[in-house]
Amino acid sequence: MTSIALRPASVTLVGRTSRRVTTPDRPDDEKALVLSAQRGELEAFSELVRRHQRRAYAVARAIVTTHEDAEDAVQDAFLHAYRALHRFLPDQAFGAWLHRIVANASLDITRRRKVRDADDLPETIASPFRDPAESDELRRLLRAALERLPERQRAVIVLHDVEGFKHSEIGQLLGIPEGTARSDLHYARSALRRLLNQLRSPQ
Amino acid sequence: MTTNFPAPPLVPGDGDSASPLVPDDGDAQLASALRALYTAPDAPAYWSALEQRIMDRITGGEGFDAWWVVPAQWARLGLIAAGFALIVAGSLFLRSRAEQRQMAYDSLLGPGNGGPTIAIRDAQTERQATINYINGR
Repeated sequence: MTSIALRPASVTLVGRTSRRVTTPDRPDDEKALVLSAQRGELEAFSELVRRHQRRAYAVARAIVTTHEDAEDAVQDAFLHAYRALHRFLPDQAFGAWLHRIVANASLDITRRRKVRDADDLPETIASPFRDPAESDELRRLLRAALERLPERQRAVIVLHDVEGFKHSEIGQLLGIPEGTARSDLHYARSALRRLLNQLRSPQ
Repeated sequence: MTTNFPAPPLVPGDGDSASPLVPDDGDAQLASALRALYTAPDAPAYWSALEQRIMDRITGGEGFDAWWVVPAQWARLGLIAAGFALIVAGSLFLRSRAEQRQMAYDSLLGPGNGGPTIAIRDAQTERQATINYINGR
Protein backbone atom coordinates (compact mmCIF):
# COMPACT_ATOMS: atom_id res chain seq x y z
CA MET A 1 0.00 0.00 0.00
CA THR A 2 1.31 3.40 -0.94
CA SER A 3 1.93 5.71 1.94
CA ILE A 4 1.49 9.39 1.35
CA ALA A 5 2.99 12.23 3.29
CA LEU A 6 0.11 14.58 3.82
CA ARG A 7 1.02 18.19 3.66
CA PRO A 8 -1.03 21.28 4.39
CA ALA A 9 -2.90 22.74 1.46
CA SER A 10 -1.03 25.24 -0.56
CA VAL A 11 -2.95 28.16 -1.86
CA THR A 12 -1.40 30.50 -4.34
CA LEU A 13 -2.66 33.73 -5.74
CA VAL A 14 -1.89 33.97 -9.41
CA GLY A 15 -3.53 34.91 -12.65
CA ARG A 16 -4.51 37.94 -14.56
CA THR A 17 -6.58 39.31 -11.73
CA SER A 18 -3.91 38.35 -9.18
CA ARG A 19 -6.63 36.77 -7.11
CA ARG A 20 -7.16 33.41 -8.67
CA VAL A 21 -6.82 30.70 -6.09
CA THR A 22 -5.24 27.69 -7.70
CA THR A 23 -5.24 24.10 -6.71
CA PRO A 24 -1.81 22.68 -6.00
CA ASP A 25 0.32 21.93 -9.00
CA ARG A 26 1.29 18.45 -7.86
CA PRO A 27 -0.49 16.08 -10.18
CA ASP A 28 1.42 12.94 -9.15
CA ASP A 29 0.91 13.67 -5.51
CA GLU A 30 -2.75 14.36 -6.12
CA LYS A 31 -3.17 11.20 -8.15
CA ALA A 32 -1.71 9.21 -5.27
CA LEU A 33 -4.09 10.95 -2.92
CA VAL A 34 -7.05 10.09 -5.14
CA LEU A 35 -5.95 6.45 -5.36
CA SER A 36 -5.61 6.28 -1.58
CA ALA A 37 -9.02 7.87 -1.13
CA GLN A 38 -10.48 5.36 -3.58
CA ARG A 39 -9.07 2.59 -1.38
CA GLY A 40 -11.03 4.08 1.47
CA GLU A 41 -8.38 6.08 3.28
CA LEU A 42 -10.32 8.93 4.83
CA GLU A 43 -7.21 10.94 5.65
CA ALA A 44 -6.38 11.10 1.94
CA PHE A 45 -9.85 12.38 1.11
CA SER A 46 -9.59 14.87 3.94
CA GLU A 47 -6.41 16.19 2.33
CA LEU A 48 -8.25 16.55 -0.98
CA VAL A 49 -10.94 18.53 0.81
CA ARG A 50 -8.28 20.72 2.41
CA ARG A 51 -6.69 21.44 -0.95
CA HIS A 52 -9.82 22.11 -2.96
CA GLN A 53 -12.39 23.60 -0.62
CA ARG A 54 -11.46 27.25 -1.21
CA ARG A 55 -11.76 26.96 -4.96
CA ALA A 56 -14.92 24.91 -4.56
CA TYR A 57 -16.36 27.66 -2.38
CA ALA A 58 -15.47 30.26 -5.01
CA VAL A 59 -17.27 28.29 -7.72
CA ALA A 60 -20.31 27.79 -5.51
CA ARG A 61 -20.37 31.43 -4.38
CA ALA A 62 -20.46 32.55 -7.99
CA ILE A 63 -23.62 30.59 -8.62
CA VAL A 64 -25.64 30.84 -5.41
CA THR A 65 -26.64 34.13 -3.85
CA THR A 66 -25.56 33.74 -0.24
CA HIS A 67 -22.53 32.66 1.72
CA GLU A 68 -24.58 30.03 3.57
CA ASP A 69 -25.82 28.47 0.35
CA ALA A 70 -22.26 28.38 -0.95
CA GLU A 71 -21.20 26.51 2.18
CA ASP A 72 -24.04 24.03 1.75
CA ALA A 73 -23.17 23.54 -1.91
CA VAL A 74 -19.53 22.85 -1.06
CA GLN A 75 -20.48 20.29 1.57
CA ASP A 76 -22.99 18.59 -0.71
CA ALA A 77 -20.48 18.53 -3.54
CA PHE A 78 -17.74 16.89 -1.49
CA LEU A 79 -20.25 14.34 -0.28
CA HIS A 80 -21.28 13.56 -3.86
CA ALA A 81 -17.64 13.40 -4.87
CA TYR A 82 -16.86 10.92 -2.08
CA ARG A 83 -19.76 8.70 -3.08
CA ALA A 84 -18.77 8.81 -6.74
CA LEU A 85 -15.04 8.52 -6.16
CA HIS A 86 -14.91 4.92 -7.38
CA ARG A 87 -16.09 6.15 -10.79
CA PHE A 88 -13.42 8.84 -11.07
CA LEU A 89 -10.42 8.03 -13.29
CA PRO A 90 -7.29 9.09 -11.38
CA ASP A 91 -5.56 10.26 -14.58
CA GLN A 92 -8.11 13.05 -14.93
CA ALA A 93 -7.87 16.39 -13.16
CA PHE A 94 -9.58 16.00 -9.82
CA GLY A 95 -10.18 19.76 -9.54
CA ALA A 96 -12.05 20.02 -12.83
CA TRP A 97 -14.16 16.99 -11.95
CA LEU A 98 -14.93 18.41 -8.52
CA HIS A 99 -15.82 21.84 -9.88
CA ARG A 100 -18.45 20.35 -12.14
CA ILE A 101 -19.95 18.60 -9.13
CA VAL A 102 -19.84 21.87 -7.16
CA ALA A 103 -21.53 23.73 -10.00
CA ASN A 104 -24.27 21.10 -10.17
CA ALA A 105 -24.78 21.18 -6.41
CA SER A 106 -24.96 24.98 -6.52
CA LEU A 107 -27.47 24.99 -9.36
CA ASP A 108 -29.51 22.41 -7.46
CA ILE A 109 -29.57 24.62 -4.37
CA THR A 110 -30.54 27.61 -6.50
CA ARG A 111 -33.46 25.66 -7.95
CA ARG A 112 -34.58 24.55 -4.49
CA ARG A 113 -34.31 28.10 -3.19
CA LYS A 114 -36.56 29.28 -5.98
CA VAL A 115 -39.19 26.80 -4.98
CA ARG A 116 -39.01 27.70 -1.32
CA ASP A 117 -38.91 31.42 -1.94
CA ALA A 118 -35.73 32.26 -0.13
CA ASP A 119 -36.89 35.71 0.89
CA ASP A 120 -39.23 34.21 3.44
CA LEU A 121 -36.63 32.04 5.07
CA PRO A 122 -35.18 33.19 8.38
CA GLU A 123 -31.58 34.23 8.38
CA THR A 124 -29.41 31.24 9.13
CA ILE A 125 -26.24 31.66 11.07
CA ALA A 126 -24.04 28.72 10.28
CA SER A 127 -20.75 30.07 11.49
CA PRO A 128 -19.22 33.11 13.08
CA PHE A 129 -17.79 34.03 9.69
CA ARG A 130 -20.41 36.11 7.99
CA ASP A 131 -20.42 36.87 4.32
CA PRO A 132 -17.80 39.54 3.86
CA ALA A 133 -20.00 41.17 1.26
CA GLU A 134 -21.77 43.48 3.69
CA SER A 135 -22.01 47.17 4.54
CA ASP A 136 -20.71 49.95 2.36
CA GLU A 137 -23.00 51.60 -0.16
CA LEU A 138 -21.30 50.35 -3.27
CA ARG A 139 -21.54 46.79 -2.03
CA ARG A 140 -25.20 47.24 -1.19
CA LEU A 141 -25.94 48.69 -4.58
CA LEU A 142 -23.88 46.06 -6.31
CA ARG A 143 -25.71 43.34 -4.44
CA ALA A 144 -29.04 44.85 -5.45
CA ALA A 145 -27.91 45.05 -9.05
CA LEU A 146 -26.65 41.48 -9.02
CA GLU A 147 -30.00 40.27 -7.74
CA ARG A 148 -31.62 41.75 -10.81
CA LEU A 149 -29.32 39.91 -13.18
CA PRO A 150 -30.38 36.59 -14.66
CA GLU A 151 -28.78 33.75 -12.67
CA ARG A 152 -26.59 32.53 -15.47
CA GLN A 153 -25.24 35.96 -16.28
CA ARG A 154 -24.45 36.55 -12.62
CA ALA A 155 -22.60 33.26 -12.39
CA VAL A 156 -20.66 33.96 -15.58
CA ILE A 157 -19.51 37.43 -14.56
CA VAL A 158 -18.44 36.30 -11.08
CA LEU A 159 -16.66 33.21 -12.36
CA HIS A 160 -14.85 35.31 -14.96
CA ASP A 161 -14.15 38.61 -13.26
CA VAL A 162 -13.71 37.40 -9.71
CA GLU A 163 -12.36 33.89 -10.04
CA GLY A 164 -10.54 34.25 -13.33
CA PHE A 165 -12.10 31.28 -15.11
CA LYS A 166 -11.81 31.23 -18.88
CA HIS A 167 -14.89 31.29 -21.08
CA SER A 168 -14.39 27.65 -22.04
CA GLU A 169 -14.07 26.62 -18.39
CA ILE A 170 -17.21 28.54 -17.51
CA GLY A 171 -19.00 26.86 -20.38
CA GLN A 172 -18.03 23.44 -19.06
CA LEU A 173 -19.02 24.30 -15.52
CA LEU A 174 -22.42 25.68 -16.39
CA GLY A 175 -23.12 23.38 -19.32
CA ILE A 176 -23.32 26.13 -21.92
CA PRO A 177 -21.32 26.81 -25.11
CA GLU A 178 -18.22 28.96 -24.82
CA GLY A 179 -19.77 31.60 -27.06
CA THR A 180 -22.77 31.82 -24.80
CA ALA A 181 -20.51 32.35 -21.81
CA ARG A 182 -18.75 35.12 -23.72
CA SER A 183 -21.95 36.90 -24.67
CA ASP A 184 -23.40 36.41 -21.18
CA LEU A 185 -20.34 38.14 -19.79
CA HIS A 186 -20.82 41.10 -22.08
CA TYR A 187 -24.50 41.45 -21.28
CA ALA A 188 -23.88 40.99 -17.57
CA ARG A 189 -21.27 43.73 -17.50
CA SER A 190 -23.44 46.11 -19.46
CA ALA A 191 -26.49 45.37 -17.35
CA LEU A 192 -24.61 45.72 -14.08
CA ARG A 193 -23.15 49.06 -15.03
CA ARG A 194 -26.51 50.34 -16.16
CA LEU A 195 -28.25 49.02 -13.04
CA LEU A 196 -25.62 50.46 -10.74
CA ASN A 197 -25.99 53.90 -12.23
CA GLN A 198 -29.78 53.65 -12.11
CA LEU A 199 -29.70 52.62 -8.47
CA ARG A 200 -27.26 55.38 -7.69
CA SER A 201 -29.36 58.10 -9.29
CA PRO A 202 -32.88 56.75 -9.70
CA GLN A 203 -34.22 60.06 -11.02
CA MET B 1 -32.80 77.64 -4.54
CA THR B 2 -31.14 74.28 -4.51
CA THR B 3 -29.82 72.53 -7.50
CA ASN B 4 -29.74 68.77 -7.69
CA PHE B 5 -26.71 67.63 -9.51
CA PRO B 6 -26.84 64.12 -10.85
CA ALA B 7 -24.71 61.74 -8.85
CA PRO B 8 -21.52 60.69 -10.56
CA PRO B 9 -21.70 57.18 -11.95
CA LEU B 10 -20.32 54.43 -9.78
CA VAL B 11 -18.55 52.97 -12.75
CA PRO B 12 -17.70 54.84 -15.94
CA GLY B 13 -19.91 54.36 -18.94
CA ASP B 14 -23.56 53.49 -19.21
CA GLY B 15 -23.12 49.84 -19.97
CA ASP B 16 -23.36 50.18 -23.70
CA SER B 17 -19.73 49.66 -24.57
CA ALA B 18 -19.35 48.89 -28.23
CA SER B 19 -17.29 45.73 -28.14
CA PRO B 20 -17.62 42.80 -25.78
CA LEU B 21 -14.04 41.88 -26.49
CA VAL B 22 -12.46 45.10 -25.33
CA PRO B 23 -13.03 45.72 -21.64
CA ASP B 24 -12.80 49.36 -20.69
CA ASP B 25 -12.09 51.13 -17.41
CA GLY B 26 -15.65 50.63 -16.29
CA ASP B 27 -15.28 46.87 -16.64
CA ALA B 28 -12.10 46.95 -14.60
CA GLN B 29 -13.77 48.96 -11.83
CA LEU B 30 -16.77 46.70 -11.91
CA ALA B 31 -14.55 43.63 -11.62
CA SER B 32 -12.77 45.25 -8.70
CA ALA B 33 -16.06 45.94 -6.94
CA LEU B 34 -17.22 42.39 -7.60
CA ARG B 35 -14.03 40.96 -6.14
CA ALA B 36 -14.54 43.03 -3.02
CA LEU B 37 -18.09 41.73 -2.76
CA TYR B 38 -17.20 38.10 -3.28
CA THR B 39 -14.14 37.90 -1.09
CA ALA B 40 -13.94 34.45 0.42
CA PRO B 41 -13.42 34.05 4.14
CA ASP B 42 -9.73 34.27 4.88
CA ALA B 43 -9.35 32.90 8.38
CA PRO B 44 -7.66 29.48 8.47
CA ALA B 45 -9.98 28.52 11.32
CA TYR B 46 -12.96 28.94 9.02
CA TRP B 47 -11.54 26.51 6.47
CA SER B 48 -10.54 24.02 9.14
CA ALA B 49 -14.07 24.12 10.49
CA LEU B 50 -15.59 23.66 7.04
CA GLU B 51 -13.29 20.73 6.32
CA GLN B 52 -14.30 19.20 9.64
CA ARG B 53 -18.00 19.60 8.84
CA ILE B 54 -17.50 17.92 5.47
CA MET B 55 -15.60 15.01 6.98
CA ASP B 56 -18.15 14.71 9.79
CA ARG B 57 -20.91 14.32 7.22
CA ILE B 58 -18.90 11.66 5.39
CA THR B 59 -17.93 9.65 8.45
CA GLY B 60 -21.34 10.21 10.01
CA GLY B 61 -22.91 7.88 7.49
CA GLU B 62 -23.92 10.24 4.72
CA GLY B 63 -20.80 9.41 2.76
CA PHE B 64 -21.43 5.72 2.68
CA ASP B 65 -23.58 4.10 0.12
CA ALA B 66 -27.14 3.22 0.95
CA TRP B 67 -27.84 -0.50 1.25
CA TRP B 68 -29.52 -0.67 -2.13
CA VAL B 69 -26.49 0.78 -3.85
CA VAL B 70 -24.29 -2.16 -2.85
CA PRO B 71 -26.47 -4.78 -4.60
CA ALA B 72 -26.61 -2.43 -7.57
CA GLN B 73 -22.82 -2.47 -7.73
CA TRP B 74 -22.88 -6.27 -7.78
CA ALA B 75 -25.66 -6.38 -10.35
CA ARG B 76 -23.31 -6.23 -13.32
CA LEU B 77 -21.25 -9.11 -11.98
CA GLY B 78 -24.41 -11.07 -11.29
CA LEU B 79 -25.71 -10.49 -14.80
CA ILE B 80 -22.43 -11.69 -16.31
CA ALA B 81 -22.48 -14.81 -14.13
CA ALA B 82 -26.12 -15.47 -15.01
CA GLY B 83 -25.37 -15.10 -18.71
CA PHE B 84 -22.46 -17.50 -18.46
CA ALA B 85 -24.58 -20.02 -16.56
CA LEU B 86 -27.27 -19.72 -19.22
CA ILE B 87 -24.78 -20.44 -21.98
CA VAL B 88 -23.41 -23.48 -20.15
CA ALA B 89 -26.89 -24.81 -19.40
CA GLY B 90 -27.94 -24.28 -23.02
CA SER B 91 -24.93 -26.10 -24.42
CA LEU B 92 -25.45 -29.00 -22.00
CA PHE B 93 -29.10 -29.21 -23.00
CA LEU B 94 -28.26 -29.26 -26.70
CA ARG B 95 -25.57 -31.85 -26.12
CA SER B 96 -27.91 -34.15 -24.19
CA ARG B 97 -30.56 -33.77 -26.88
CA ALA B 98 -28.04 -34.75 -29.54
CA GLU B 99 -27.05 -37.78 -27.50
CA GLN B 100 -30.69 -38.78 -27.05
CA ARG B 101 -31.28 -38.44 -30.76
CA GLN B 102 -28.24 -40.56 -31.51
CA MET B 103 -29.46 -43.21 -29.07
CA ALA B 104 -32.85 -43.18 -30.76
CA TYR B 105 -31.22 -43.72 -34.14
CA ASP B 106 -29.05 -46.43 -32.72
CA SER B 107 -32.03 -48.16 -31.19
CA LEU B 108 -33.76 -48.17 -34.55
CA LEU B 109 -30.88 -48.96 -36.84
CA GLY B 110 -28.33 -50.66 -34.60
CA PRO B 111 -27.65 -54.45 -34.46
CA GLY B 112 -30.29 -56.65 -32.72
CA ASN B 113 -33.13 -54.40 -33.62
CA GLY B 114 -35.40 -53.87 -36.63
CA GLY B 115 -32.98 -54.95 -39.38
CA PRO B 116 -31.91 -58.29 -37.98
CA THR B 117 -35.46 -59.11 -36.91
CA ILE B 118 -36.53 -58.84 -40.48
CA ALA B 119 -33.54 -60.93 -41.52
CA ILE B 120 -34.40 -63.55 -38.95
CA ARG B 121 -37.96 -63.44 -40.05
CA ASP B 122 -36.73 -63.87 -43.63
CA ALA B 123 -34.47 -66.67 -42.49
CA GLN B 124 -37.31 -68.35 -40.66
CA THR B 125 -39.45 -68.03 -43.69
CA GLU B 126 -36.70 -69.55 -45.80
CA ARG B 127 -36.22 -72.34 -43.31
CA GLN B 128 -39.91 -72.86 -43.11
CA ALA B 129 -40.05 -72.94 -46.86
CA THR B 130 -37.31 -75.57 -46.88
CA ILE B 131 -39.14 -77.65 -44.28
CA ASN B 132 -42.33 -77.30 -46.20
CA TYR B 133 -40.54 -78.41 -49.34
CA ILE B 134 -39.05 -81.48 -47.61
CA ASN B 135 -42.34 -82.34 -45.99
CA GLY B 136 -43.99 -81.98 -49.35
CA ARG B 137 -41.65 -84.51 -50.85
